[in-house]
Amino acid sequence: MIEVKNLTKTYGKKQSSFKALDDVSFTIPDGASVAIVGKSGSGKSTLMHAMSGLDRPEVGEVVIDGTNILKLKNKAVDRFRSEKIGFIFQAFFVQANETAYDNVALPLEIADIAGRDRRKRVETALAVVDLTDKIKSKAGNLSGGQKQRLAIARAIVNKPSIIFADEPTGNLDSATGEKIEELLFELNKKGGSTLIIVTHDHDLASKCDIQIRIKDGKIDTIVQAKTSKVKKTPKKAGVKL
Amino acid sequence: MKTIDIARRAARSLRSAKTRTILTSLAIGVGAFTIAISIAAGEGARQYADTLIGSNINPRALFIVKDGSLFEGGASPLSGSGIREYDPDVGMTASGASIKLMTQEQVDELAARSDLENVVPTYSPSVTYMVFGDSDKKFSADVAAYDATITGEAAYGTLPPLGEGLAADEVVMPESFATTLVEQGVIDTEADLVGTRVVMTASRPTSTATADELAQAYATGGAAAVAALSQPETKEFAFTVRALSKQSATALVTGTSIQIPVSAAREMSEYTTEGTPAYQRYVGVQALAVEGEDPDEVKAALLEDEFYAQTAEDLQGVIFSIVNILQGIVLGFGVIALIASVFGIINTQYISVLERTREIGLMKALGMRGGGVSRLFQFEAAWIGFLGGVIGAAIAVVLGILFNPTITELLGLGEGNYLLIFQPLPLIGMVIVLMLIAMLAGWFPARKAAKLDPIEALRTE
Repeated sequence: MIEVKNLTKTYGKKQSSFKALDDVSFTIPDGASVAIVGKSGSGKSTLMHAMSGLDRPEVGEVVIDGTNILKLKNKAVDRFRSEKIGFIFQAFFVQANETAYDNVALPLEIADIAGRDRRKRVETALAVVDLTDKIKSKAGNLSGGQKQRLAIARAIVNKPSIIFADEPTGNLDSATGEKIEELLFELNKKGGSTLIIVTHDHDLASKCDIQIRIKDGKIDTIVQAKTSKVKKTPKKAGVKL
Repeated sequence: MKTIDIARRAARSLRSAKTRTILTSLAIGVGAFTIAISIAAGEGARQYADTLIGSNINPRALFIVKDGSLFEGGASPLSGSGIREYDPDVGMTASGASIKLMTQEQVDELAARSDLENVVPTYSPSVTYMVFGDSDKKFSADVAAYDATITGEAAYGTLPPLGEGLAADEVVMPESFATTLVEQGVIDTEADLVGTRVVMTASRPTSTATADELAQAYATGGAAAVAALSQPETKEFAFTVRALSKQSATALVTGTSIQIPVSAAREMSEYTTEGTPAYQRYVGVQALAVEGEDPDEVKAALLEDEFYAQTAEDLQGVIFSIVNILQGIVLGFGVIALIASVFGIINTQYISVLERTREIGLMKALGMRGGGVSRLFQFEAAWIGFLGGVIGAAIAVVLGILFNPTITELLGLGEGNYLLIFQPLPLIGMVIVLMLIAMLAGWFPARKAAKLDPIEALRTE
């Protein structure tokens, strides 16, 4: 479970200060698919960074499985990210000069997974995204859709409990993008990991269990699909569900 | 992240930027090459000096003088143009410095010591001319006392075993002298010189005759006897050639003088100096520390009796210090080249950090620690240092092997002696040091990489 409580992120000082996040609170149950929707500059990326432990706002809490990650030491946050979080980016960020295998192996190396285990896990992850035959190909030689599938394999290889996808289809044509969406939702349903998609694409957002709409650093609305288990935490009352 | 994984990733990154890696490595390679050459040349020079000393000086040998300033390089207090009290023991060395000479009593004192043997003063025998066999051609050459403490090699005839001197009527001549005598038609072949009789004539100026002597000479021999009194006196020394010493590239003495027995050297030297202040005065003595005695301890014991000694090791030190200075100069150039290449590494790695901002951001986002990122870049720098070191060392070894025979010929080092001697250990050590230097150079860019904010690094345009 992810609990975000009164999260506030301020840039700059005094008069010139600007609140990228302003008292944001919500709760996400395990295994849900969540869309953080908003225009560019709305604060949705800042929210994702705070929830994944990349950024550390001074005010508020991000409690994941009972631990407030904002209070963890740097080393512990790094380990938290390497063990619990998977990232998928709009621009893929695969290493063009390395093979598919080495790209996917990176999170395992960072998490100090031993060599024997590593190969098996990489092969499994590549099989899930249907890139088994590209294991020895240089990532630079893959198509856009294949690159994003490779990035997904890299995100799931360490079996994270939360996957963050930042505009995962933004750099793809609609047909390829749709396939990537299908893959992501399938992994979310089958794998049981929580999927958090940051997007401004309302079509994509509407496919998620929960839509958290951000505007000017504040939560505008939280929309839940019929099957959803989550509600917006009332701001003042502090009641949790 | 495990060190082995970091090292592998570092190697992969370098492979994917081949041109840059090779160019940066070459910059280090230049420094490594110079350093490898200087190490090899230093080693070669030292081994050569060792051979040189080994074939000329017995390790037990001591050179003992009365005036310690001779070994100190500074001017003796006795030198200079000022007026000073006369001292019969002060004389001149070959280089013109005034030093306190050793007297015969002091030589005898040294010879009587139980920790020294083979005590031979620096006799200065000189010969006016010499004739060989039945020939009446006169020749002049340097003569020196035979040194029984060094093993030589004979071209013809045999040399006495180590430690034994020549018999009183034997001489050893350099092979090259025989060649000259063949050219001059004195002997038919070089081998013929062995067994040939040599008569050396030494001469000394006559002292002014007294009135009584003149009167007596006139009374007995007339005018001719008076004239004979003012002629230089001469004395003949007869020897047989025992052996011809082989011309060795590393021998210092044997190539330039005829070696005569010590007793003859003394006789000759005393004959020519009798009546002069140089009579029985010596610059110093050559001696051997008795077998089993440490030459350094003997040296210390001698100092207590106010004798100053130089051991073979001291002499070695003098030669080595020259070698070390020369090596230091070459090494200096190598170090300068390295310093230049260090900036090359810093520059390359900074560019690499800039180029790979995204990659660094991604690794940090995936939970890689700043230390891990830093190590990745330092390992890359270390790989560059390794490559540069290996390239430089390899080129140095190949060129050294190719040019060693030519260098030996040009410098006349003698068969089997090489100037450039490559040993694996110093080269491996050099490569390791280069890797450490490269890592040090890579520290600044690595720190920049480690401090990179992943959010900034991953921000898309």
